[in-house]
Amino acid sequence: MTSNRATQTGGRMVRPYTMTGGRTGAGQRPLALEALVAMTPAGMRMRSRFRWEAAEIVAHTRSETAIIELAALLDVPVGVVRVLVADLQEQGAVKVTDPVTEPFADDDAAYTDLLHKVLDGLNAL
Amino acid sequence: MPSERTGLTPVKIVVAGGFGVGKTTFVGAISEIEPLRSEAIITEASSGVDELFPEGSKTETTVAMDFGRISLKHDLVLYLFGTPGQERFHFMWDELARGAIGAVALVDTRRIEACFPAIDFFERRGTPFVVAVNTFHGHRLHTAEQVREALLIGPEVPIAFCDARVRVDVQRVLVAVVEHTLKRVMSGAVAS
Repeated sequence: MTSNRATQTGGRMVRPYTMTGGRTGAGQRPLALEALVAMTPAGMRMRSRFRWEAAEIVAHTRSETAIIELAALLDVPVGVVRVLVADLQEQGAVKVTDPVTEPFADDDAAYTDLLHKVLDGLNAL
Repeated sequence: MPSERTGLTPVKIVVAGGFGVGKTTFVGAISEIEPLRSEAIITEASSGVDELFPEGSKTETTVAMDFGRISLKHDLVLYLFGTPGQERFHFMWDELARGAIGAVALVDTRRIEACFPAIDFFERRGTPFVVAVNTFHGHRLHTAEQVREALLIGPEVPIAFCDARVRVDVQRVLVAVVEHTLKRVMSGAVAS
């Protein structure tokens, strides 16, 4: 069921804050779990500059990948991914697509269109 | 932090219910990826998800979230999130529900009370939800009206029966969720 290394080996060897240089990402509005992260052309060019988890994140975002997926793929807590992605975003290496519901919250017509699209997609599965 | 819009739009539906009711099975029946498990580090007393090391806290623990993904269109992807079942993790539900287009309250009629917290939560929050009775034990023991009475939910909340292992059943429940949300949006009563 779970492929987490931590559960197989009884714990990871590096404590999470080590990966983020001690930062917790507190104080900023956290990226949504389903926000999509994609490597930019700049990120592609500078990818050899990144190390460890940041390099893994960049490698996994050649196609758009959600924050929550990155956490599962890298087997690190969501908070670590959020901090690292925010850094990569600041450096222009990745771009982040927020979930669409919030900007649309005040726009019923656009939201209704989106819901119809979701419905069509589900019915066509 | 400005975000640019790229080609793909993410949406999500939350699947809640008591511990062991079949949330992971439900997600796995329709997800195009194996349901994945992701961790957040929290403290027992924490009120937010994933502040990695809240000041002064010594009792950090991890909580697992199951999720799945369904590509709906070339530019639209649906994420399904199973809520952590244990009561001490209920504070996480708010983050999971934020921005969700709707929710499923999964019910096992043998332990009907296990879904009360989920129903209370979605009602309080104003998140549109559908009650899905998991019949994976083979028998439909109750009618929709009996379930409605037992759960004390109003006539506006749709009730569906599904086998959480069966893809088409899960698909039907998700369709019901989106239809219900559409109805609520049209009538002007939706929280996001």
